Amino acid sequence: MERIEPFSEGFVLALAPEFVLIVGLFTLMIVPNMGDAKFRLPLTQVRIPWLLGGKRRNLDSDPRLPGLLATVFFTISFGLAAASFVSGMTRTQIVTPSGTIMLQIDEFSRMFELIFFGALALASAASVNRLPATARSDRSLNGLYNNRRQVDFYILLITTGLGMAVVALAQDLFMLFIGLELASFSTYVLVSFMKESKAGTEAGMKYFIVGSVASGVGLYGLSLLYLWSGSLQFTDLSAAFAENGMEPLPLIALGMLLVGFGFKVSAAPFHFAAPDAYAGAIAPVAGVLATASKAMGVLGLLRILLTIASPEATDGSAVWLVGLGVLSAITMTWGNLAALGSTNPKRMLAYSSVAHAGYMLAAITAIGALNWEEGHIDMSNDAALVVVTALIFHLTVLVCFKLGAFLVLSLLESEKGGHTLESLGGLAKRDPFLAVAMFIFMMSLAGVPPLSGFVSKLLVIMGIVKAALLDVTVNSELVFGDIHWVWFLALLMIINSAISVFYYLRVGLVMYFHDPEEGREGSLPKGTPVRFAIIACLITTVYFGVGAGQLIALCESAANALIGAW
Amino acid sequence: MAGSGSTEAVQSTALEYAPYILLLPMLAFPVILLLGKLFNGNKMWKDGLKEGGLIALPVMGASLLISLWLITDFVGGNGHGDTTGWTWFTSGLWISGQTTVTEISLGFGIYVDHVTVMLLFVASFLCLLINTFAIGYMNTDPINDNRNHRFYAEFVLFCSGMLGMVLADSFLWLFIFWELMGLCSYLLIGFYYERPSAAYAAKKAFLTTRVGDVFLMVGLAMLWTLFHPYAGAGQGALDYSVVFYEGNIEKVAASSAGTLGWALGLMFIGAVGKSAQFPLHVWLPDAMEGPTPVSALIHAATMVNAGLYLVARMFPFFGAEALHGELADLAFIIAAVGGTTAVMAAAIAFVQHDLKKVLAYSTMSQLAYIFTGLGAALYLANTLHWHEYLADGTKNPDYYVNHGIVVVAFGAALFHLFNHAMAKGMLFMASGAVIHEVHHAHHHLHPHDDHHDEDPEELLVLANYLADTGQSVFGFFNSIDLDQSGDVDTYEFQKALKEADIADLPPWEMQRLMAALDMDGNGRIDVPELELTLGRIHLASLADDDDHHDHHDEFDAQSMENMGGLASKMPLTATAMLVGSLSIMGFPLIGGFWSKEGIIANTWRVALDDPRFFYPAMCVLLGAAMTGFYMSRMWLKTFAGSPKTDVAAHVHPTNTWIKTPLFILTFMSLGAIVLASMGFTHWAPDEYYKPFFDGKKSLFEGFVYEMDHAFANPDLFFFVLTYLAILLGAIVGPGLALSLYGGKLDEGEETMPWFGPVIALNQMVKGRYHWDNTSFAQSGFATALENRLYIDHYYDMAMLKIVAAFSFKAAVADSKVIDGTVKTIERTSQQLSTKVRSLTTGSARDYILMAALGTLVLFGLIWGVVA
Repeated sequence: MERIEPFSEGFVLALAPEFVLIVGLFTLMIVPNMGDAKFRLPLTQVRIPWLLGGKRRNLDSDPRLPGLLATVFFTISFGLAAASFVSGMTRTQIVTPSGTIMLQIDEFSRMFELIFFGALALASAASVNRLPATARSDRSLNGLYNNRRQVDFYILLITTGLGMAVVALAQDLFMLFIGLELASFSTYVLVSFMKESKAGTEAGMKYFIVGSVASGVGLYGLSLLYLWSGSLQFTDLSAAFAENGMEPLPLIALGMLLVGFGFKVSAAPFHFAAPDAYAGAIAPVAGVLATASKAMGVLGLLRILLTIASPEATDGSAVWLVGLGVLSAITMTWGNLAALGSTNPKRMLAYSSVAHAGYMLAAITAIGALNWEEGHIDMSNDAALVVVTALIFHLTVLVCFKLGAFLVLSLLESEKGGHTLESLGGLAKRDPFLAVAMFIFMMSLAGVPPLSGFVSKLLVIMGIVKAALLDVTVNSELVFGDIHWVWFLALLMIINSAISVFYYLRVGLVMYFHDPEEGREGSLPKGTPVRFAIIACLITTVYFGVGAGQLIALCESAANALIGAW
Repeated sequence: MAGSGSTEAVQSTALEYAPYILLLPMLAFPVILLLGKLFNGNKMWKDGLKEGGLIALPVMGASLLISLWLITDFVGGNGHGDTTGWTWFTSGLWISGQTTVTEISLGFGIYVDHVTVMLLFVASFLCLLINTFAIGYMNTDPINDNRNHRFYAEFVLFCSGMLGMVLADSFLWLFIFWELMGLCSYLLIGFYYERPSAAYAAKKAFLTTRVGDVFLMVGLAMLWTLFHPYAGAGQGALDYSVVFYEGNIEKVAASSAGTLGWALGLMFIGAVGKSAQFPLHVWLPDAMEGPTPVSALIHAATMVNAGLYLVARMFPFFGAEALHGELADLAFIIAAVGGTTAVMAAAIAFVQHDLKKVLAYSTMSQLAYIFTGLGAALYLANTLHWHEYLADGTKNPDYYVNHGIVVVAFGAALFHLFNHAMAKGMLFMASGAVIHEVHHAHHHLHPHDDHHDEDPEELLVLANYLADTGQSVFGFFNSIDLDQSGDVDTYEFQKALKEADIADLPPWEMQRLMAALDMDGNGRIDVPELELTLGRIHLASLADDDDHHDHHDEFDAQSMENMGGLASKMPLTATAMLVGSLSIMGFPLIGGFWSKEGIIANTWRVALDDPRFFYPAMCVLLGAAMTGFYMSRMWLKTFAGSPKTDVAAHVHPTNTWIKTPLFILTFMSLGAIVLASMGFTHWAPDEYYKPFFDGKKSLFEGFVYEMDHAFANPDLFFFVLTYLAILLGAIVGPGLALSLYGGKLDEGEETMPWFGPVIALNQMVKGRYHWDNTSFAQSGFATALENRLYIDHYYDMAMLKIVAAFSFKAAVADSKVIDGTVKTIERTSQQLSTKVRSLTTGSARDYILMAALGTLVLFGLIWGVVA
């Protein structure tokens, strides 16, 4: 483990992906303001080009430029984060001179950064066409406003990315909270970014209010923890929990933190604002909420439940086990039932994302059910590794197909559709590529082999079953009563998957067998960047299903980094 | 399923590239389909790429080259092996009551042995030639324009299915590719899906083979259960490396030899369906509805061989010392099914007029020969001690004699498969050439006939019936619209026709009527549709009555009644057909002779041992004479004598794409003696084919050996048998045909010199022994044969009586019980959904309230655990 103090040698290099984003932030601020302004040296006629202000040039005032720039910066960050895997990861900690560990760079945090940056890169590429950018020739005030707003949007996307990166790297609850809030505040604005639409503003407002409450509760839990142990370092908290975690104070704090992160992963009953937010936001933003933002929530849960309040050395021990199990059962069932009746595809996807949150909570519950007594630790460690690997794999491939589905909807949105299922009618005839892509995304969401959605669901279910049966396999005969109850979560997950097929397939039905709505017979907008993003999603959706091996290995190394730190 | 999982088994680079043999065509499938969709009608696509034909051709060429590489490696002695190509994922299987979790991995591997190599060559070689042929056949017929890409795409997918099946390293993958072929044959037979007969034939082929496939699947499941306990880590229980491993067979044989016999028997039923053997043979003649290249490909060269391949694959079970004598009954069943089909199909072929149907029955009959041969070989392998060591480990005294017998018996069957595939592929392509050119000549002479749009006769009768009884169309319509839905569906219309005593038609015939009436194509008839069509037909019939329009029959380009004397018009095709026919007949020294003799001899060898085998043995001997007759009949009716129609007199030679494969295959059939001399008659699971390739035995020595065994067998019984078979197959059968059909060509018709003796002999025999066969032709037996022995009829009846009744009940159960349950679940879920969503009020206050509630519950639960 390398230790680096902030701003000492190697600091920038270690955090290269994050610094690239900061550079991107400033670039985005400067570039659209560039012009041919000159600065006259006082008392002389010498004019020095100053570049800020003045008459705009065609290139840097192109309304599509910020989007492309943001995409490029996200891609570079993604590439740098990926490169750290290729060259062999050097685990690094950023430590203050007083010895507080602030950030830690390892496979786990970098893997999550890949998820965040990947999702954001795709979303920013897709938004280039989605935002009402008007041609340069449009000199009307509205047109100009719209073009200037482009920059704001991408600046917010980049701050979201930075916040998420901090959450991934944080080794201290305080750092984690800062990152979380940075990302959250950015997304609140992004949701209501289309201020002309009533739905967008309202959704953003609600999302903000409920989110603030959840954050407030979380923050309160955090302060209780500090009160209790005097430190917010993961290492300190984990040690304190192992020693006397059964005191009321940390338990109350834990519950409050669960509420805070439950909102982030949109677990029932903290999910209510999510469907509204997804439906009100433009589709790429909704996609980010459903993938990157959710991954951030899961990351926080993993940190709190597995690192801090890690299961103890008694049978089926974790204090949060029952609570989380109930939460997961309710969440997956609620999400699927609600999705069943939704006619707005974005709301449907939102509820499906609630259901997916339920699956992931079930996976975390399974880890809590493991037996950590002496003599069982090795097996339990193996099983936990399987589950966490499955979880990370699931979050990663979710970016491929869930975001992909939102991107398809974003193309429909740009012709004012995408709010009703019927606006997808006849898509197969209007744009066969989009219909095929959407169908594959739906199949993958439903978990049909050989797509990546199938592999991820299979891995999660196998992980849960393995955890549930672990105790039994140590002893002898298989007796049904001996199986740990988390096994039923796997069963419930399978039943829920069966229900979910209904609404996923309905999308295919509408696309292929219904006629287009009136006024929607023509072809769809072209949108090259968004189509490229969809193709990228499509290829990865299929590839990670057929050749899942590499990605699983990657996720396993990430899971190892988390579990090894216990 | 994964193979042994080890990379050590890979001994040659050819094996590493072997997956491309099937991957290339498989990848060509989407490419051709996509390009075809994109560039349909484009000139470059049509002429430059032959609508995909010239994409498929190099792909199949590459497949053949890699196959040849693999085969060369194999006979060179280092390509024997089993490899795992890739593994998709590994999954655990929990077995109740046991504490171990068995890992099951799903992957694909390549398995190469002598059977693989033989079939691989046949498949890849013929696929390439048929592809060449198809370019000349499909792309020159305007009826196929702008849809040939569909043909080529399905064609390459089919080829990849066959190649994959041959190369697969487990029964599971064999089954998967087997089904892929089933799908493709369905698509290809139904290529002209707008013709009801083609659609019907496709369905029939699919469903009939499906019957066999169900048994195959059950058989495989049983096999899996038997071998599963012995599969090692990373191995699938159906991998050849598991099921053929002698140690495993021993273990299974010790506990459940009978079950294994049943499993193999059920798998054999699958082979019966795929290879069109009695009683699942009914699909093959109908399948001639597909374009001719499809007939050549599916019904001669590849797909029907799949069944044979499956049976040949079972050899290690029969040959295992541990199962000695256990499987003799199954071997007899295999031989008996073969014998029955051989005679039955040959008999039906006697009365066929359709050129391709004769070939279809001939295929059936010849495949039956191979089944008989395999049955005999498997019997020998199962009942003789042919291994070097006996079960108790002592040296086997009869090793050399018995081993030789088994090897020759198995080799003969496999070699006949090879010879038959070559000859039959060629015959089908040649027949295709004939049909193609007759069709063109007809088109040239009567250009308008194709636009002759006939109204179904039944509708005319109906129109007249209404006019005679004075019913209005509307009144009639109301009376037949049983459910008062405002339109009439097929069932109601069928019932109405039956009640009015006009016609009692099966459903597929009804399709024709419905198509004629249904103007908007919604599958149902409404009043205006019925009124307009019937009115038009009635008026037309009144007009027709006046001028006594002579009814012009649809010209049938496939009927031999319309041919004759084509030897001078299409000399190369006639030569190919002649060589092919002689090969199938087992004419001495040509093609199939070398293998057919072996099959007959070995079946009789078994019959001497086990009297049950007298039945198949007599069948194959009788079949030899029958084959001689119907093949000669076909050739003579088509190519000898004078043209029977003016169309046949105006036929021209065919194009180069078609000629090339015929030319190559002619030499393949003629050159069978070379292959036989190279040891192909000993193509068995060990070193017996080796001497030639190791250079220990020269080609000439092999030739002398084969000639010696064929014509101067030291054993008196086999000596007589050989000459008896030759007498029947090459003299009696053809002799009868010569006396009945053909005759000399018209004056002034020049042809190839080698037809001289044939035509002269024909003329002589016909002149001298004129044999009157009218009494036979008019007998009930001939009628029965023309109706295919009524087997199809009884099947249809059984279907209507049993299956239709059952499906009606099942439909009720489906809609009430199954749909009812599903609907209830769906309705309940939707109601719950509404309830759940009604909690999402849209007011942020409520959301926070719910979150607060959730928080309290969460606290409660955590508290509950702690307290």
